[in-house]
Amino acid sequence: MPKVIRDLSDSSSYWAAVWTMCAMPDVHVICDAPIGCFNLVATAVPDYTDAIPHIENITPSIITEHEGGGSGTGPAVQRTYENLRDTGVLKGKHLIVVSTAESEMIGSDLSDLVTQFQPGTTFFHSESLSDDEWLGRDRVLQWLWENYGQSGAATIAVEPGLVNIIGPTYGCFNAPSDLHEIKRTIEGAGGRLNLVFPYETTLNDMAQLARAQVNVVLYKEFGHTLADSLGQPWLHAPMGMQGTTQFVQKLGDLLGTQEKANAFIQQEKKTTLSAIWDLWKGPQSDWFPTTNIGIVACGTYVDGFTAFLGDELGMPITFASSRPLRPGELDNEGVRQLLHKSPPAFVFGSINEKIYLSEAGARYTNFVPASFPGPIVRRAVGTPFMGYRGAVYLLQEIVNRLYEVLFNFLPVDSAYSRPSGTGALNGAAKPVNNKPGHVPGNLPWQPEAKALLDAALDKLPFLPRISASREIQMQAERAAQEAELKEVTAELIQTVLAARKN
Amino acid sequence: MSDSIPLGTITQEAKPCQLHPQSMCPAFGSLRVLTRIEGSHPVMATDTGCLYGLTFVTHFYGARKSILAPQLGTAELMAGQVVEGTRAAIEVAAKEPGCQLIPVVSLCVAETAGLPEEMLPKKIGNAEVVLVRVPAYAIHSHPEAKDVALAALLKRLGNATAPKEKKTLALLGEVFPADPLAIDGLLRQMGVEATITLPGRSVDDLRRAGHVGALAPLHPFYKETTAVFRSWSIPIVGGAPVGISGSYAWLKAVGSLLDLDPKLVNDVAEGERARAEAMLKAQPLSGRIFVTGYEGTELAYARLLVEAGAEVPYVSTSIGQDPLVLPDEMWLRARGTKEIVYRKSLEEDVAALDKYPPDVVLGTTPFCAIAKERGIPAMYFTNQLASRPFFLSTGMAATLGFINQTMKGHERYQWMQSFFEGEAVDA
Repeated sequence: MPKVIRDLSDSSSYWAAVWTMCAMPDVHVICDAPIGCFNLVATAVPDYTDAIPHIENITPSIITEHEGGGSGTGPAVQRTYENLRDTGVLKGKHLIVVSTAESEMIGSDLSDLVTQFQPGTTFFHSESLSDDEWLGRDRVLQWLWENYGQSGAATIAVEPGLVNIIGPTYGCFNAPSDLHEIKRTIEGAGGRLNLVFPYETTLNDMAQLARAQVNVVLYKEFGHTLADSLGQPWLHAPMGMQGTTQFVQKLGDLLGTQEKANAFIQQEKKTTLSAIWDLWKGPQSDWFPTTNIGIVACGTYVDGFTAFLGDELGMPITFASSRPLRPGELDNEGVRQLLHKSPPAFVFGSINEKIYLSEAGARYTNFVPASFPGPIVRRAVGTPFMGYRGAVYLLQEIVNRLYEVLFNFLPVDSAYSRPSGTGALNGAAKPVNNKPGHVPGNLPWQPEAKALLDAALDKLPFLPRISASREIQMQAERAAQEAELKEVTAELIQTVLAARKN
Repeated sequence: MSDSIPLGTITQEAKPCQLHPQSMCPAFGSLRVLTRIEGSHPVMATDTGCLYGLTFVTHFYGARKSILAPQLGTAELMAGQVVEGTRAAIEVAAKEPGCQLIPVVSLCVAETAGLPEEMLPKKIGNAEVVLVRVPAYAIHSHPEAKDVALAALLKRLGNATAPKEKKTLALLGEVFPADPLAIDGLLRQMGVEATITLPGRSVDDLRRAGHVGALAPLHPFYKETTAVFRSWSIPIVGGAPVGISGSYAWLKAVGSLLDLDPKLVNDVAEGERARAEAMLKAQPLSGRIFVTGYEGTELAYARLLVEAGAEVPYVSTSIGQDPLVLPDEMWLRARGTKEIVYRKSLEEDVAALDKYPPDVVLGTTPFCAIAKERGIPAMYFTNQLASRPFFLSTGMAATLGFINQTMKGHERYQWMQSFFEGEAVDA
């Protein structure tokens, strides 16, 4: 049985190539693509992942039926090149021609053609039909090094104390904040920043990567091959309190700045991290053991959230699904079924999980964006997930959302509820009718009815159970009174529960 | 579909190179229409890059709906599993609760590999399986893909031999939800018994489409859909209820086509004209406006703005030239519009910006960004105009109110421009 994809989470290596190369201003990409592959990667999606109006340094060859039908894409790419050259766009730029799934499909290999273009023009075969965005980013970073960095690096000497950051590219969730925090952390440990590649570098400068004594690879998903090629020691960017502390110590060891690194850790405990210590000592941490969490995000975040929220703070991790998917993890089909059945208190994820929660009507679950796909602005540098500040921000976000849950379930006097409303969702009592025979006070419940109520509550996240319990009781008793029953029956509670969608 | 995207070295004088065509991925038009139908569970046959991008925009702009697809990578393509994979995805889709319709959206890679229709089931359980071919290499704009999708659905679901309900009308075009209500309200005063709106949310409306007395395309790019209605011997109303003269003429045309009481029709049309004139008097427009979206409705919007007093020297759109657009084109040219560009590129829009510096731009996101870099108020046509009523006098009021408000914001746009770019230029 062929594999069926539900709501694809990972893009292709063509996207990886464009989103990596075009982050550098001295690159111009010709994508060998139909209009759609150009529009989606360069405008429609980065508008909503990276909050940029459009990627300017990319031009499509525009594959039409003509190219697909046998003439090949060479002439279209040639014409695009000539027009770009003639309008002066390519002056001072490294031109890279990138293949797409469709150009690969029709077997278009332009390695020879590009040798006739301006000197230095290259062709990148993106392997878009087989590789995903993560593998793609790793491969393109290494390819850029081999084609634009390595030869110039031979004469460059390593300078002690300098540190590179490898990654992010466009389309990396929360990258500006995480990068900001990792820079601060590196400097705190005694390092000096060399290059942030490719985000804040030009391709011209790529050889300068060789100057750094240590490399920090921002994500576990890509960048390690380039880091290996650079030949210097390298570390992954850290998450959580323990991870970050070990990172600062290790970096201090590598740079010979142990004293500075330890002083930074001590200082951070008194400043940045004191919020976590205070929240731990306060009533907030008492909620952690009953606040369960589901995670769908890049493997870097899955590991970081699991270590910090799970191991360090003690929140139960209900499920975790990495991007790219690791063996044994739930795929989207499995995640969807789980969220339909018993959604946890918090779901970190993409728009896919948000849709599954909407389908399930899971209004007791807090959705926290933590992954693409999905439109979101994450350009403020104060919302990191990585480093010490990331730990504080994550915890702050969770506690505030718990407060929100409590607020939403406090009763509101029913006189303010909408006249057309079916009873306030927030636990407000609806005035009970004054039918003759109506007895004020609690109605008795059949034991089977009570058991059904308990089973329904068991499926909900812990914190909102009290409010949900009161709400369901009120709904059931109202229905019983309307039906002029003397007690709440199992049949009635079944009807009430079926009409609710949690 | 036969015309191609004009590319490359344009020989006409003073025409810029067309390097960056401006359209959403064409296939998105079809997904938007197909995902919004209740009980419809689309299957997309394509590669992962395409799937990622189209799912992204569909989840943002189409519907909160899970999307299925066969895995189509090198291995599956080499093994010739396009059909098998698609069939497997169809089977999963059929299990969704309430599934009535499974549109199979076939895109570039699947179309290149080949996806023969006869190899797919026509029906599975209660669900109709309808193949919609929208490779971006052959369908050149997002609006035209809406047409292809709707035509495919109607061909399958519409009943050609249905007895006609003479005093009913199908409104054709994705419009703001309040628009069909306003149109329906007025039409009922004229004696119309019912309307349906296509593309809409309901499979039943697709089934009913063959019964209507006439079809009224509100947008000018539903070429294939219109042909389907013609093949059912359903007459087509020309024009659209846009602006003062356009609405008046359209109401009269509907009246005569559906054989309604002429006196009643005349009263309603006159009343609507009076309301529209009063509305225009209350908030006239002035200033120079560009209408440069990719929705295929740009000419109609330009027409409304010109009628309201604005100067619109330049209009561009992603759709191709077609007899359906011709009346609006001629109307605009007769009233001072200098350039109307079909299948436009960013370069053409930018050249017009130099040639006729406008007060307001209603355009694509890349073009709006360039206008804003020059301190010109600019709005994304798709988001800002499609989300407001447009038709009849109520639509005029909403649209013109919005444009007037945008005009007033010019100082803010200039301040932003000088704050972010002015200083750097001076330094």
